Amino acid sequence: MSSNPTPTGSPTPTASPRPTADEILRLEGLEVHFPVRGGLIDTLLRRPRDVVRAVDGIDLTLRRGEVLGLVGESGSGKTTTGRVVVKLTRQTAGRVSLDGQDVSTLWGTRALRDYRRRVQLIFQDPYETLNPKHTIRDFVMEPLVVNGIGTPAERESRVTDALEAAGLRPARDFAGRYPHELSGGQRQRVVIAGALVMDPQVIVADEPVSMLDVSIRTELLRLMLDLRAERGLTYLFITHDLSLAWVIADRIAVMYLGKIMEIGPAEQVIRSPHNPYTQALVSVSPTPEPRTAGERAKRTILVGETPDAANVPAGCRFNPRCPYVFDRCRVEEPPLFDVGGGQSAACWLAEGGRALPVLPPRPDTVPA
Amino acid sequence: MTTPLAAAEGLAAGRTGTRLASPSHLLRRLVRRPDGLIGLFVLVTFAVLAIIPDLIVGPLQTAITAEGPRLGAPSAVNLLGTDELGRDIVNLTVHATRISMVIGLLATIITVFIGAFLGIVSGYVGGRLDAALMRIADFFLVIPTFVLAIILTSIIRDLAGSGAREVFGIRFGLIAIVFVIGITSWSSTARIIRSQTLSLRERAFVDRARVIGAGGGHIMRRHILPNVINLIVANAVLVFAGAVLTETTLSFVGLGDPFQPSWGQLLDAAREVGAPSLGAWWYFVPPGLCIILVVFAFTLVGSALDDLLNPKRAPRR
Amino acid sequence: MSTTISGPDAAEPVASSPVAAARQLPKLADPAAPLLVVDNLKTYFSLEGATVHAVDGVSFRLDRGEALGIAGESGCGKTTTALSLIRLLPPNARIEEGSIKLYGIDLVGKSDNALRRYRWREVSIVFQGAMNALNPVHRLRDQIAEPLTQRLGLSEKAARRRAGELLELVGIPKRRGGAYPHELSGGMRQRAMIAMALACDPAIVIGDEPTTALDVMVQAQILALLEDLRHKLGLSLILITHDLSVIAETCDRVLVMYAGRVAEEGSVDEVFRRPRHPYTQKLLAAFPNIRADRRTLDVIPGSPPDLRHPPPGCRFAPRCPFAMPVCTEVVPPEVTFGQVRVACHLYPPGSDGRQVTTAPPDAIGATVPLVEPPPAEPPLEIAGG
Repeated sequence: MSSNPTPTGSPTPTASPRPTADEILRLEGLEVHFPVRGGLIDTLLRRPRDVVRAVDGIDLTLRRGEVLGLVGESGSGKTTTGRVVVKLTRQTAGRVSLDGQDVSTLWGTRALRDYRRRVQLIFQDPYETLNPKHTIRDFVMEPLVVNGIGTPAERESRVTDALEAAGLRPARDFAGRYPHELSGGQRQRVVIAGALVMDPQVIVADEPVSMLDVSIRTELLRLMLDLRAERGLTYLFITHDLSLAWVIADRIAVMYLGKIMEIGPAEQVIRSPHNPYTQALVSVSPTPEPRTAGERAKRTILVGETPDAANVPAGCRFNPRCPYVFDRCRVEEPPLFDVGGGQSAACWLAEGGRALPVLPPRPDTVPA
Repeated sequence: MTTPLAAAEGLAAGRTGTRLASPSHLLRRLVRRPDGLIGLFVLVTFAVLAIIPDLIVGPLQTAITAEGPRLGAPSAVNLLGTDELGRDIVNLTVHATRISMVIGLLATIITVFIGAFLGIVSGYVGGRLDAALMRIADFFLVIPTFVLAIILTSIIRDLAGSGAREVFGIRFGLIAIVFVIGITSWSSTARIIRSQTLSLRERAFVDRARVIGAGGGHIMRRHILPNVINLIVANAVLVFAGAVLTETTLSFVGLGDPFQPSWGQLLDAAREVGAPSLGAWWYFVPPGLCIILVVFAFTLVGSALDDLLNPKRAPRR
Repeated sequence: MSTTISGPDAAEPVASSPVAAARQLPKLADPAAPLLVVDNLKTYFSLEGATVHAVDGVSFRLDRGEALGIAGESGCGKTTTALSLIRLLPPNARIEEGSIKLYGIDLVGKSDNALRRYRWREVSIVFQGAMNALNPVHRLRDQIAEPLTQRLGLSEKAARRRAGELLELVGIPKRRGGAYPHELSGGMRQRAMIAMALACDPAIVIGDEPTTALDVMVQAQILALLEDLRHKLGLSLILITHDLSVIAETCDRVLVMYAGRVAEEGSVDEVFRRPRHPYTQKLLAAFPNIRADRRTLDVIPGSPPDLRHPPPGCRFAPRCPFAMPVCTEVVPPEVTFGQVRVACHLYPPGSDGRQVTTAPPDAIGATVPLVEPPPAEPPLEIAGG
């Protein structure tokens, strides 16, 4: 229907190596609970302190070479999960394994250093991630310096390699600069170079492009995919933007209030969601295609907002807002049910692999 | 003699996302402002007087070399009159510049060093260390500075005796004052730097340093310190002013060294001789004026720096 | 019961909305004139000695009850355009040229004092990151009541009552009016900002990236709310955003800006389905579309020009895949073809205006590399886009 021309840039390579079935990172029963500090009255009255259940028991497996999109709104726990993987935040329960080895309680020096070499993070804000007082070279070389890797000459050459791998060529034009001298897209490339310099296996990318202009986003996404192909990287791609996950992820996991609601190959999760929350998210994700009023009526706009992670509803945590809710949902929390093709959804309706019934369009639509 | 804590903490707040300028950049912008320019000019003048007093007014006059009339009024020979020993007031005042400024400088170095170090460590490490250090700092903040200074100076001088040993050309008696000022002033610097450290600690580049495996020492040295340097400098300027005032007051109450006249010492001498009631204004007005000018100049520069450091840049994108 | 917020009278068409009819026009208004006509607006900034041509000859029109989207990336001048409409510009900015006619009244010539009559009462604005623009030490209903007492001179009691009505209108229960901003979620705060913008019953509400910082579900709620209010109150909307998807969902017409100028303008249907300007084509292709094929994202090399030294001719030429030699020399004129206005040499005056999607024979293409070397001067960081 639209006669938008085919893009003149070459499409992003889909001929990437198919991820093998072996896993590189595994999270089991991961929980991150933050106690809320009680006030004096609460302590005196011995009231039980509130707990913020940021991550409330998730199992996640990252397959070697894949891009797993971890999608969720604010309060879903996706960022906290990412932070646990790179060990910026300590989990309160659960196991983390890298390449089969248990790395859950790695707080001694040598082993932790080794872990950090293999698992790196790309941050959201390129303006904030770079220390304004340090040069680009300082930033990219810092991991090598801190971990005592290589001689000064070797470090210099690794920095050059990393900058050029991130698309900043020639590296010497950029190495001596300060962050404020570069544009947003260039800064984010520097951040990527900084993550690459230790030759990691896994990269956690937390909203890596959301602060950049749209036309620059696509360049950086292509860069990340190219690097995956060249270096066999695995990405945990955290984003609130389902459309972005659609474009870049092999598999998508949808989180809500600390739990995984649905996970599976991106095609399936988006085209045939089996969890009502996923379905609602897909239906309201805007696209650059104008929709008719009839199409707009089919959006499932939920009422209210995600509740506080300190007040997780009983039963299925999505039940207060779910358009399909029935009695069992309010009492028992559903596990992830396998619905075929590698997809699973946490919903009582998905038990037995059933599809979600179709919702009637909104009765009170705005006229066309 | 309160350090403008609120103004400086205003500096520490609202720090997110500004491009923090380098010291040389700051200096350039400072001289473009009228208040910064005036303050800097005054300070440079006094610095020159402090460094080469002999070249300007000749060696320090003593009771022996004094040639003028006693408590003589200003004349063609003695532009600002003479003291009770016949020494030329201009000579005394210029030499006193060195004493006052050097004491101020040394005291500032100690204060800022201790304050910044403890501020950064306390702010970054947090937890019980932070709590303990801040309780100690509170102790020093709450105790009346002068009372403490007076007590400490007396004690130190009694312990050390009043020998003629000199450090940087200052006799030991006055060095005691330097330490005392350092001990009593570090806490407000520490609080200011700690405040800035607390907000820096949450920034993404510190997170990134942790992710690549950097330890606390590296982060404090390479990430926190460079970003508080400007604040330290601005604070140091105000501490300097305060140190000069404190030294003046301590000397005025008799804890100074009569053989090494600082401005405060001159004021004390003037009082003892009864200069005010004798109408010998030329004795106490010059040193008093110098103190006012220097402190004012410091405050001008300090507040200009404060302005320059504040994020007035428009938000990004 | 999971569906949304539209009230029972949402089905009323605009023209007969009693509120729209009842709105009093300002004294100098020409009732026959269109609601808003902006002609050749030029707003420049003085920055460290140089002049930034942030808005450099922008014209458009807004009719009653319409929703116009102004699209573009950061630095294109869309926010500056909006701020120029109500003259909330920083001191180093000035409107160099052009006219802004509200009901036929030219606002450009008015003094600041005279402008107060129109600001907030005829045209109000919901800012970017508005949730953080609420004063943390005042209760919600007091902040909403403020423009009512200040601008409309209502009594405290009447203002409080109206504040309560406004809260209900935007979907905040009246009883939450006593809350402080930090007690509310991001979505609620954004609704509160909308309530404040509606306080004096303006004719036009400008939304500057009103949903950018919000979750996608909350964004859907807020956009549905704006849609609902538009029909209930006969409101006209100017929505400024980089997100073309948001414009596709909510606006009737769209204005695509690039580097301070208009690239293309027309009905959302026409421009999004048959984009003519190469920038529009590339921009649309750069947005991920969850309903289309995957991984066909397009790239635009380089970055927007430095508006202190804009390139001669068409400002998009260095990055344009269809650029021809004339593009780097001559500024393309704006030409109207039926529903659409385009400023591009591919559509010269007198041509048929049909969409061009392949490179013309004499094209030289984009001349900038994908990643440019770091600029000689540090990039500009000016407020807004």
